[in-house]
Amino acid sequence: MSALLADLVRFGAERPTLLWLLPLALLPLAATPRRRTPFADLAAAPPDALSRGLAAALGAAGCLAVAALVIGISGPYRTGERITRTGIGAEVSMLIDRSGSMNETFAGRQPSGAEESKAAASRRILGDFVGSRAHDLFAVTAFSTAPMLVLPMTDRHAAVRAAIAAIDRPGLDYTNVARGLALALGQFGAASGDASRVLLLVSDGAAVIDPRVQETLRAAFAKIRPNLYWLFLRTKGSPGIADRPAGEDTPQAAPERHLDLFFKSLGVPYRAFEAEGPEAVAAAIREIEGLERDPIPYVELRPRRDLAGWAYGLAVFGLTLLILAKLAEVDLAQGRAAPPARRSERRMAA
Amino acid sequence: MSGEGAEAGKGADIIYLPRWRARGNHAGAHRGRDAGGPGTFKDQVPFLRLPDARRLDLRASLRDPFEGIHVRRFEARVAVEVWALVDLSASMRFRGLGDRMALAGAFCESLAASATRIGDGFGLIACDSGIREEFSLPATRSRATAAAAAARLGAAMPAGASAAGLRAAAARIAGRPKLVFLVSDFRWPPPLLEQVFSGLAFHDLVPVLLADPAEAEALPDWGLIELEDLEGAGTRLVLMRPSLKRRWLAREAERTAALGRLARRHGRAPFRLAERFDPAALSRHLLGG
Repeated sequence: MSALLADLVRFGAERPTLLWLLPLALLPLAATPRRRTPFADLAAAPPDALSRGLAAALGAAGCLAVAALVIGISGPYRTGERITRTGIGAEVSMLIDRSGSMNETFAGRQPSGAEESKAAASRRILGDFVGSRAHDLFAVTAFSTAPMLVLPMTDRHAAVRAAIAAIDRPGLDYTNVARGLALALGQFGAASGDASRVLLLVSDGAAVIDPRVQETLRAAFAKIRPNLYWLFLRTKGSPGIADRPAGEDTPQAAPERHLDLFFKSLGVPYRAFEAEGPEAVAAAIREIEGLERDPIPYVELRPRRDLAGWAYGLAVFGLTLLILAKLAEVDLAQGRAAPPARRSERRMAA
Repeated sequence: MSGEGAEAGKGADIIYLPRWRARGNHAGAHRGRDAGGPGTFKDQVPFLRLPDARRLDLRASLRDPFEGIHVRRFEARVAVEVWALVDLSASMRFRGLGDRMALAGAFCESLAASATRIGDGFGLIACDSGIREEFSLPATRSRATAAAAAARLGAAMPAGASAAGLRAAAARIAGRPKLVFLVSDFRWPPPLLEQVFSGLAFHDLVPVLLADPAEAEALPDWGLIELEDLEGAGTRLVLMRPSLKRRWLAREAERTAALGRLARRHGRAPFRLAERFDPAALSRHLLGG
């Protein structure tokens, strides 16, 4: 019952005062547009269920036509609404490195000619990723010296793509992963329940995470428990994630390796993708896409809908029935032509 | 029967034979119950009973071994009263291929002329739920008065919701037997039919059933008709189709048959008057039935 009421509340009219004319819809019950044939005794006509049904149907058609016309000119609509549905997708918080080296190619040079910078490649591939599934939620955070909140968690994919399109602007210098991670974790809403959460870190380098900050991050990861994906855009010749440094194995000497170790120690599902070219980036993204297939509640926006067309359609339907009935009308003695004029025949014969 | 060039409905007389031997003092055209006058031979009675020397029956007197004198008796020719009882309920306003009231008017005019021409009295009672005095007429032999009353009836506008006044009419014409034409479409409730017929059972009753092809065989095969009851019973939509028409005709035939059974039980079969009044057809019906 309350659901029905809630449904009813969503309907409205542009000119609601015209709805006071609705009682006119009862007129067809009082009078019909058909020609009335005076008849001596209704009991002479045998009872007929089909005729009775037709009479009821035509009365209903008349009521429907009048009511639909009144509703049509009053301008009916259904208000827009937000519906929470469940689809397949994930909450994805993207953390994108904006350090200056992202503007170089995978070969470590300034891009020239047909070459693509790391930022441009990730922009293109991430842009495709955003469009590919309808119900994903995305948040975009950039970081260099300081983290930048680019876009909070949203399902407006156009905005997300625009935010991603902006990441190949010339970047800043330094790579401050720790604060970026903190902000990206803060992007996950508190209320999203059992949706699967993905933290996608796109960077071409790493930095030392201050041990004091490490504890805060651990606590945040433990609370939110996202699936962590690190898309490491490795420049040719630079150390990889697993490479042990030649000298002393300290975070300062091999920040990538130690960041990886830190991520592994977090206790959340974690995978690192080392990409050395645009194809590798695309493959990594496809793999992430395939992994994150969980039900997610998402909000669907329904715009306001004009219902006048429906109302007029119903009115046309009712009026058509009435017109057909009108066209089918006959007279009582239709079965035989009028009696021949005997008088004139007699005269002519005589 | 009809004059040259004259129309069948006007010039022809309705020829009727009463089924009973009428009593009465008025000399007329019908066989009476009493003896006397120039009628057909009735019987022989002893001279002492009817001392009329002009009517001596010599052959019967000679044949009598006791030598009694016999006298012939002849039937008296007497006049009867002819009454038309007309239903003025609203259903009589129906116009199909013919106009029901015009038909009733033509019938009454012809009957009035036929009755007064041979010296019979003509009376008219129009009834809806009561007796409509303005259209009624006590039995009269005046030809002009009878014709005027019949003409008045033809122009009447029936409006009543029932024909219950016919019971009062039956009471009004009680007395000596009369020839009574009951003119109606007989679309009455069955109890009223029974009551009116029993009320008139003493008379020589001829039901005249006003029918119209538009109510039965001339109905269309297909189409929509919105029927409106003339007696105010509302409207009804009917989708005509061959199967419904068959059922409708069967229903009408059944009604007519029931009316026929009832009428024959009380005397004569009903005369069906439809579209056009033909006095010759009525005469054949009256003589044959």
